[in-house]
Formats: sequence, structure tokens, C-alpha cells
Amino acid sequence: MIFNFSMSGSDLLLMLPEILLTIWLCVVLIVDFAMPRLPKEQLAYLSVGGLVAVLLNLAWFDRAGVTGTLFNNMFVVDRLAIFFKIFIVGATALVVLISIDYVRRFRFFKGEYYFLVLMSALGMMFMASANDLLSMFITLEFSTFGFYVLVAYLRDEVSSNEAGLKFFILGVFVAGLLAYGISLVFGETGKLVFSDIASAKATPGLIIGFLLIFAALGFKIGAVPFHSWIPDTYHGAPTPVTAFLSIAPKGAAFAILLRMFFVSLATFKPAWVLLLVGASILSMTYGNIVAIAQKNIKRLLAYSGIAQIGNLLIGLAAGTKMGSDAILYYLLTYLFANLGAFAVVITVSNQIQSDEIEDYSGLNRRSPFLAFAMIMFLLSLAGVPPLAGFLGKLYIFVAAMNEGLYTLILVGLVNIVISMYYYLIVVKKMYINEPTDPSPLTVSAPMQAVIYVSLAGTVILGVYPQPFIDWVVAAGMMFSHFAAPAAAAVMPSVPPSALPFGG
Amino acid sequence: MLQELTFGFPILSLILFLPLLGAILIALLKEEDLIKNAAMGVSLLELVLAVIVLLRFVPESAAMQFSERVAWIPPLGISYHLGLDGISVLFVGLTAFLTVLVVLYSWDTVRHQIKLYFVTLLALETTMMGIFVALDLILFFVFWELMLIPSYFLIKLWGGGAERQYAALKYVLYTLLGSVFMLVGIVLLDLNYHDWAVVHHIEPAYSFDFLQLLTIPIPADKQVLIFWLIFMGLAFKAPMFPFHTWLPDALLEGPIGMAVFLAGIKLGTYGFIRFSLPLLPDASKNQGVASTMMTLALLAIIYGAIVALIQPDFRRLLAFSSISHLGFVVAGLFALNYQGLQGSLLTMINLGFSTAGLFFLAGFLYQRRHSTQLAAFGGLAKKVPLLATYLLIVGLASIGLPGTNGFVGEFLILLGAFQAHWLYGVVAVTGVVFGAAYFLWYYERAMLGPLTQAVGQAIADLNARELVIALSLSVMIFWIGLYPSPFLRMMNGSVQALVERLDKGAVAGMAVPTPVLAHRAGRIGSADARERGSFPHPVGTE
Repeated sequence: MIFNFSMSGSDLLLMLPEILLTIWLCVVLIVDFAMPRLPKEQLAYLSVGGLVAVLLNLAWFDRAGVTGTLFNNMFVVDRLAIFFKIFIVGATALVVLISIDYVRRFRFFKGEYYFLVLMSALGMMFMASANDLLSMFITLEFSTFGFYVLVAYLRDEVSSNEAGLKFFILGVFVAGLLAYGISLVFGETGKLVFSDIASAKATPGLIIGFLLIFAALGFKIGAVPFHSWIPDTYHGAPTPVTAFLSIAPKGAAFAILLRMFFVSLATFKPAWVLLLVGASILSMTYGNIVAIAQKNIKRLLAYSGIAQIGNLLIGLAAGTKMGSDAILYYLLTYLFANLGAFAVVITVSNQIQSDEIEDYSGLNRRSPFLAFAMIMFLLSLAGVPPLAGFLGKLYIFVAAMNEGLYTLILVGLVNIVISMYYYLIVVKKMYINEPTDPSPLTVSAPMQAVIYVSLAGTVILGVYPQPFIDWVVAAGMMFSHFAAPAAAAVMPSVPPSALPFGG
Repeated sequence: MLQELTFGFPILSLILFLPLLGAILIALLKEEDLIKNAAMGVSLLELVLAVIVLLRFVPESAAMQFSERVAWIPPLGISYHLGLDGISVLFVGLTAFLTVLVVLYSWDTVRHQIKLYFVTLLALETTMMGIFVALDLILFFVFWELMLIPSYFLIKLWGGGAERQYAALKYVLYTLLGSVFMLVGIVLLDLNYHDWAVVHHIEPAYSFDFLQLLTIPIPADKQVLIFWLIFMGLAFKAPMFPFHTWLPDALLEGPIGMAVFLAGIKLGTYGFIRFSLPLLPDASKNQGVASTMMTLALLAIIYGAIVALIQPDFRRLLAFSSISHLGFVVAGLFALNYQGLQGSLLTMINLGFSTAGLFFLAGFLYQRRHSTQLAAFGGLAKKVPLLATYLLIVGLASIGLPGTNGFVGEFLILLGAFQAHWLYGVVAVTGVVFGAAYFLWYYERAMLGPLTQAVGQAIADLNARELVIALSLSVMIFWIGLYPSPFLRMMNGSVQALVERLDKGAVAGMAVPTPVLAHRAGRIGSADARERGSFPHPVGTE
């Protein structure tokens, strides 16, 4: 294979958002060192400013229809990549805002915190553009690198250190799996670019290679059975990092999963549907059932996050254009609901120094705004109409039912009922129980901003979803080759029960 | 059935959102009296709007009236489609009417978190109105699910029982469990439309619109599957025997205001007559389905009445009598003939006055003795003649005494049931006898006879507010009882269209008026119907 590295200025334009962010994170670091007296929250606003600039840049790309590939197809800019980049950058901006109050808890390296957050975001932006196995590996490791540090940022707390260590050891192990899987696939096919692999024949080496890669990506999104790091890491990590970890990397990993399953493995769909159906059922059921027993709100959100990933995998299992649209839409709804819920958790924990669900008793008396916001986010996560979560779930279910995945859908629906139970327990604590300490809680300005944005997103995506649906449909246009087989997959002559998982 | 009449003004949207706007307004108010007055004002205004709708409604017509349609989420075929026909129009009036009475009842019986109470109550009214005016299945489902949230809070925060926590959660989870199956059924209807639309190049290729779904054929075996899926949602909500276990708990533990709605607004059976029967006529006529439904209904009638007979608590008695009455409604529906359907529809409205009325009276009793246990009463009639009189009136209406509304509805249902099969009729009639027995027996023990010691001295008769509630309920009871024709005329057109639809079936569908298909369409369930069931299905797949 010959790499030629001739590159023009217009090629580099495709990387403009990444370049902007790289410059900006250097600026943040330099400002931090050069002006030691500067209050650290100014760095947060500086970072948000940079992220907004990147966001505007991406919006321009999206409007202008800028697309192309770089470095021999390693790096691709298409509407899907731009969608995920907007998703990641938007999530990062919100995470930076909810970090401001929390960062005061850190004793050292307050400024570097923002640098690390931005760096992880940069890594994830590259992930969204990764178009071959090598760039997938590099970008995945790059983005995880920042998280290894961030998770263990509370140096004095045992739980944070434990979280960091667990995340690191498992992460490195998974990186090994990934590298091994990639080498197997490359060995079998001699190709690296996702779309080139599509023509490969299914040899044992290739299958094992892809299973290893799937395991690595499954670890990344926290799907059962690769979820074991999630609860402890989410619990121990600083809460804004948990919020970040629960959203942005999931989005970036789904960008890669979509490209891999829908492009490289499109011809093997009947085989991987079963794999995804299994992972989805396990994730939803395990996440929801274990969530019931949780006493800590971060752990509850961690397990509910595992279940949400199970829902997203339904869309992947559908394996159609509609499925991919549904995934993108679901990610948007999940972004607002989950980040909003974490924003409330951080606000509460900054003031009462506790994440126990018990301490949410009577939140309505202490801060009606926080309680109302939390109930909206939880109900959206549970999928109560007309909030965003309902539409996301409906979209995914319609896509999967179009493919006749009835067993999967029934499991998913029963899981909604289970999840409602534990969300309602939190609601009950907030609204029905009496507070042990009735002193009112205050909400700082950046927190308010994030909560309002999340509330708006949660409501608008549910009530006026049209522009967003148009957007995700346009973003997933590259998968429209799946549209035709989708209609053909409806087989009225065969009863669903005669096929495994209803077809 | 496809005809739609529009009204110059989006009155249904106003009816739908007025309570919600009122709730938001109330949330901004501080003073207690102001809150109560505002709640009353909003609910009265809503009632006025509902009355306008009832007056402007064209009777004897099968058309969808006051229709409003805006595309909401076109890629998924979801629209904001509202409309009323003879089936739904009376429910809008009933809901508005009962809300006014509940606000009146709650005036000084709700004593804590008053603002939140009225906000929740009005939000609940919006969701119930939404269920009745929605013509898009997803829009319907949105309100159907949304209703759980205010209900949960009402039961949990203002319930009187010690077990209200458990009752609220049970109610939400049970109905949610049913609803998710219903959602699958709804999506299957949509996908069936999709298959059809793809073949016939109809854009958009998805639709959840009730009226559009009516125009396409649905294979008979698919109909049966969808019927049972939707059945799960409706049966849990209704609740039908044997899915009823949450109802006694919720009615006993929850506040009277919530009980009035749970027992008075028959959402589950409304769902059957609104969606299941017209969309899935062949499934409804299917021998297996119809006889299963009939059996469940008759079991509910007998079971509810017998269990009610031995209840020492008035609210539990009402809960089981409510289950028994629902049995009548379902029996009328699945008699699948004109009288049965009309009787069922009228009975659903009637129960809104009689069963809900009995819950108000149970509330009055509860206010006086802080219990609805039989042991707390005895010989009350001497002390509280007005209360005793109204209890008798509403109670007799609920057991269907001639001259009251209950008689008209039950009589039509029995007529329909006898037409369907004499055995159905006979069993249903025994239910009537039991119904009379449990109510009269209870009444005798609670109201007549000598004053028992437990009653004590200080017990007041109805106050002015309570009198208004009792009186307005009685007026409605006698109006429908003595002069039901305005009500029957309103539902007539739609019921007739529904009967025709049931005759024709949806296997062939309305959109393929081939003579061959049309003349055979009556014999559903036969082998050739099944063949034709797969007719619209080539979908370019095989």
C-alpha cells in the first residue's frame, strides 16, 4: 500500500473545525499558565467561546454541504460526521458549563481540567470522522486518553482513584483487543478502509477480528456484557466527567459502529442482527433491573444509561436507514435528558455534598425549579410522551418493527415499564417525602443555562421534532441504500414466530 | 365515516389546551382563594366551550366534526388531528361537567398543597380531553400515557388511605404495562399502512391517522393480533376483569376527585368503540375474539356484583360495582349490533353521572365520618335526609331503575346481548339482579333502621356546595332517563356507520371497491376471506 501525502490548503479546510479546536485548547493551556491569577471560571468561558466558534464552523459545513475525504480515505467529512461533531461539541460545551461549580472542589490543576475536556472532545471529533480501522484505533485511544486522567481527578478520594484505575486497566485491555481485532481483519483482507472491507468474504479470521472490534466498541458504549466498568467509574468520577462520559463518547462510538455495521458489514446483516439483538436485550434488561436497587443517583443514572444503550442498539439491529435515523434522533434526546439530569445532580451535590437518592427527599420544597427539571428529564428518559424520549423510543421501535424484530421490541417495551418504576421512586422522593433539611437550594447562572437548554431540548424534540428529524434524515443519507431491502424484509407469508427473534 | 366537517374556529384545540393554560396560570398565583376561583373559572369556561360544541354538533351524522388537522411529524406520519363524532362528543361534555363538580367538591375538602392540586387536576382534564378529541393514534397515545402523571400525583399526594403510595405506583405500572402492548399494536397498524402505501405509491408512506387507517385493508389474521395487543392497553385501563386489581386500591386510597374520573370517565371502553371496533372490524367479529370478550364481560358482571355484595366499605363496593358495570358496557360493545353499541355508549356516559355521582356521595359520607366503612354508619337517613335521598337517587340510577338514565342504557345493552345470543342476555340479566341486591342491601344497612351508636350526634346534612353537586347530577340522571333522544340522536349517525363498518369489514378495505370483493366481504373468517386477507400484500416482496 502506498501512502501519498500530497495535501493542499483546500484539503485542510475539511479539518478546519479540528484545527480550530486544537489551536483553542493550546490557547486555553497557555492562558492558564500565563495568567495564574485569572479566576479559573474564566477559562471555562474561554473554552465555551472556542467551542461555540467550532460549532458555528460545523454549522456552516452542514449548511454549505462541505464533504470530502483526506489522507487516503482515513478521514472523512460527510453529513454523518458533521452531525456527530455537532453532537460532541455541543455536549462538551454544556459539560464545561456544568463543571464550573464543581471544579472548585479540585485542589490542583483546575485549569488543566478544561484543557483535558477539550482534548477529549477533539479526540471524539476525529472519531466521528474515522473511516478506516487505523484511524478508528488512533482516535479511539486519543479520546479515551483524556478520560483516564479526568476520571481520577479527585485525587484525595479513594472512589475516584479506584474509578480511574478500573477504567484505565480495562481500557488498556480493550485497546489490546481492538488492536488484535484490527490486525486480524487486515490480515484477512489486506484492507483498512471501511468501505473497502465490504467486499470481503466471511473467513473465520475476519469473523473473530470483527467480534473483537465489536467487543472493544461495546466496551466504549457500555453495552452488556462489556459494561462492568460503568457503575464504579460513573460513581467515582467527578460528576461532570461522569456526565461527559455518559454522552459524548457514546455518540462518537455510535458514529464508528454505524459506519462499521452499515458500510463494512452491510452484506453480513443477517449474521450481526442476532449479535446486536442479544446485546440489546441484555443491556436493557440488566441495566433496568439493576437500576431498581440503586441508592445512589449517579449509579442509578449509570445503570439507566446501560439500558438506554440497549435501546440504541435496537436501532442498530434494525440495520436500516430508518434505524440509523432513529439512532441519531435518540442520541439527541438522550443528550438533553441525560445532561440535564446530571446538571441537576451536580447542583444538588454541590450544596448538600451527597449523591444519595435519599437526600433528594423534598427537593420540591427546597427548589421547585430543580425538582421540576429533574422530573422532566427522568420522564423523558423513561419515554413518557410528549417529551423527547418518547419520540426517540417510538422512532427506534418503528424502525425495528419494520424489520420484524418483535421479540426485541416486546423486551424493550417491558423494560420501559421497569424503568418507570425506578424513575418514579426518585420522583416520589422529590415530591412526596418531606425534606430533612428544608433550606432552599440555589442554582448558579451557568447551571441554570444548561438546565434551561436541556429543558428546551427535551420539550422541543418531543413537541416540534420536524426540523431535527429532517436533519438526522439528511445526516444518514449515506445509508439510504438500505431503504430498498427494508421494504422487502417484511415477509407476511412467514409467521414471525417461525424465525429466530421474529425474523 | 370519512367525511370531515371543519368549524371556522379551532374550538377543539381551545378545549384541549384551555385547562393546561389555566393550570399554568394557577401555578403563578399565590393567594388561596384566588387559586380556587381561578380553577373554578377555568373549568366553567371549559364547560361553556363543551356546551357550545354540543349545541353546534350536527346530530344524526357520521362525519367527523370540528375537524382540525396539522402535520406534526410527517416523516413518521404523525399528525395533530382532532375531531369529534357521535362517539366522542358526549365524553367531552361529560369530562368538562365532572371537572366542574370535582373543583366544587375539592373547594374545602382539599387542605394541603392546594395550588399543586388544582394545577394537577386541570392538567388531568387536558389529558382526558386529548384522549377524546385525538384522531391520530400517536396523539391519542400521548395523552393516554400523559394521563398517568397527574393521576399518579393526585393519588399519591392527596389520597386518604395509608396505602396510597402503593396504589399510585400499582396504577401507573399496571396501565403502563398494558399501554406498551397497545403501542406495539398501533405501530403494527402503521406498518400495515406502510406496506400498502409503498405498493400504491402513496406519500407519505407512514400514517397513524385514524381516518386514513380506515381506508386501507388489513389482513384478518393481522387484525386479530393487533386487536389483542390494543386490548391489553384498553383492558388494563378500563379495567376489565381480570386486569382490574389496581382499581379497588386506587379508588380506595386515592382522593375522591381522582376516583370520580377513574370510575366516571370510561377511557378503556371508549378506546374499544373508538379504535378497536372500526379499525379492526373483522377481528372484532371473529368468533374467537367476540366470544372471549363476551365471556370476559359476563364474568366481570357477575364477579363484580358478587364481590360488591360482601364489601363492608362503600368505596370498595363502588369499585367492584364499577367493574360490574364495565362488564355491561363491554357486553354491549361485543354484541356487535346497533342496540348493543348504542346502549354501551349511552351507559358509558351514564356511569359518568351515576358511578361518579356515587363517589361524590361517598366523599360526602367520608367528610362526615372520616371513613366509608359500613360500621361508621347506620340509620343515617334520619339525621341527613337530603344526603340519604340523593344517595338513593344516584344509586337507583346506577342499578338501572326505569325513569333514570341507567335504565335506558342497560335496557339497550340487554336487548343487544339477547340479539347476539340468548345465553348472553340471560347471564347479563342476573347481573342486574345482583346489582340491585348489593346496592339496596348496603343502603338499608347504612341509611335505614335505627340510629347506631357509632353515628353519634353531630352530623350535618348537605351544605350548599354539596347540594349543587347532588342536584346537578340528579338533573342529568332524570334528563337522560326521561328524555334520552337528544343524546341518542347525537350518537346515532356514528353508531350506524360503525355497524355498517362492522358488516363490511376491513379485510378488503374501502379503497378497493371491486364488486367481487364487496359482495363477499360479509363472510369474514372463512377461508376465502383469509386468502383475500393477503391480497393487498404483494408489496413487491415475493
